[in-house]
Amino acid sequence: MRNAIEINNLEIKRGGFELGPINLNVEEGEIFAILGRTGSGKTVLLETLAGFYQDQYDGDIKLFGEDAQEIPPHTRNMGFVYQDSGLFPHMTVEQNIAYGLKMHNVPAAEIEEKIAYITDLLSITKIRKQYPATISGGERQRTALARSLVLNPKILLLDEPFSALDPATRQKMYTEINSIHDNFGCTIVFVTHDFSEAQKLAGRIGIMLHGQLKTVVDADKLFENTYDEDVEMFLRG
Amino acid sequence: MKNKKKINRKPDTFSLISIIITLLVIVFISSAIISVVAGGVAYLPEALTSRETWFSIKLSLKTATISTTLCVLTAIPVAYALTRTEMPLKKLSEIIIELMMCLPYLVLGLCLLILFSSPFGDFLRDIGFKVVFTVNGIIIAQYFVNLPFAIRMIRTAFMQMDERLEVIAGMLGASKWKQMTTILLPLARNSIISMIILTWSRAIGEFGATLMLVGITRMRTETLPGSIYLSISTGDTKRAMASATIMLVISVAALIISNKLNEPPKYYRIGGEDGK
Repeated sequence: MRNAIEINNLEIKRGGFELGPINLNVEEGEIFAILGRTGSGKTVLLETLAGFYQDQYDGDIKLFGEDAQEIPPHTRNMGFVYQDSGLFPHMTVEQNIAYGLKMHNVPAAEIEEKIAYITDLLSITKIRKQYPATISGGERQRTALARSLVLNPKILLLDEPFSALDPATRQKMYTEINSIHDNFGCTIVFVTHDFSEAQKLAGRIGIMLHGQLKTVVDADKLFENTYDEDVEMFLRG
Repeated sequence: MKNKKKINRKPDTFSLISIIITLLVIVFISSAIISVVAGGVAYLPEALTSRETWFSIKLSLKTATISTTLCVLTAIPVAYALTRTEMPLKKLSEIIIELMMCLPYLVLGLCLLILFSSPFGDFLRDIGFKVVFTVNGIIIAQYFVNLPFAIRMIRTAFMQMDERLEVIAGMLGASKWKQMTTILLPLARNSIISMIILTWSRAIGEFGATLMLVGITRMRTETLPGSIYLSISTGDTKRAMASATIMLVISVAALIISNKLNEPPKYYRIGGEDGK
């Protein structure tokens, strides 16, 4: 299977924080978890992949074999969901979902059709006319997911998407992520600091500490392997 | 049901002093306003039937509206460049804008007078755009006095916005222009409205720079503040007070409109548009 993401010697500085060098391959259709403490550079890595810091990094990023420097963020066909959802507060749920479609000049009838499908799939039909400030955390995350998925992204980047949710909603969201993966077949890279979440959802897990990708391991072998002192400390608490 | 016990909270000394100072300030401001209004109201009917007063009202409203429109059209792109781009000489540009804000208006008017009396001004006159001693000059004076404030207000608003939302919009396919018109400007709506009202009110009251660049000629370049100045110069205090009262009414109207438009947007109210 070909690689959706290839990262070679990626280095980036953000203020006083240095990320890298990072080397990583993520296969097409894979669910990959980036596990690490707060401040380890997980979000910066995702944002770099999404193209937030175009021209500001050293090394290579290839997306489906193409140099990422040559692909502007809006043509990367990636979805990004933040921990706080990043919804546009002045737009209703359906306006948020329709936003990307409108920007791609999709006809109104098709937009309506796609919104109806995705809101039904993610069980947010009832809140279509509501503003983000008036819905729950879980509904906000579903709306953010719908906004990304409606564009059929090849890669979905999720930045701690479940950390602000209560345990019951989180369980539901795990099921939904798996069904999204089955339905849309997209490559998913998600960031988390929750070991069990990473193991439940991902096929492989990368452990990031102090701006470095320390190791990449199969999810079911996370606690079986032996690692360097830093990773052991992180895993064993 | 038990009667609630009244708690007798005595203010501390500092709070007491603050309250007294506040009351004194309010009494001072109010008495200054009341003295003008009380004197002006009696002569208002007479002033409102005068061609000269109507000329100054219309000229003030017209010039303030045009200069405010120009300020808005300039301040938004300038604030955008200062907050969202890596433009060259950004720091120097910010210093020049801040400097304009600190200059006394008479000095700013003098700068404009010298600029528009130079060969550049001659060139503008030759192509049919006269500035010195004309209505165009009033608009230019109001524009230059207000522009730095307008830029600062919009720049502060843009800096407080979550820039990440524009990046997300970009990832969803929005161009920079679309990011600005669909995300940045709607979210900065209240600040922009405040800027428009404040700029317009300040333009209505602008006097110093206008005096230097245009002078005040009856029925030609006579704005409301100019009318007050001319009336006082000729000893016509009643007309001056009537004009001041008209300005006060315009300011109060602007304040009411500003407060009305600045209510929190519906999407921040629980229940949203539908009141759910």
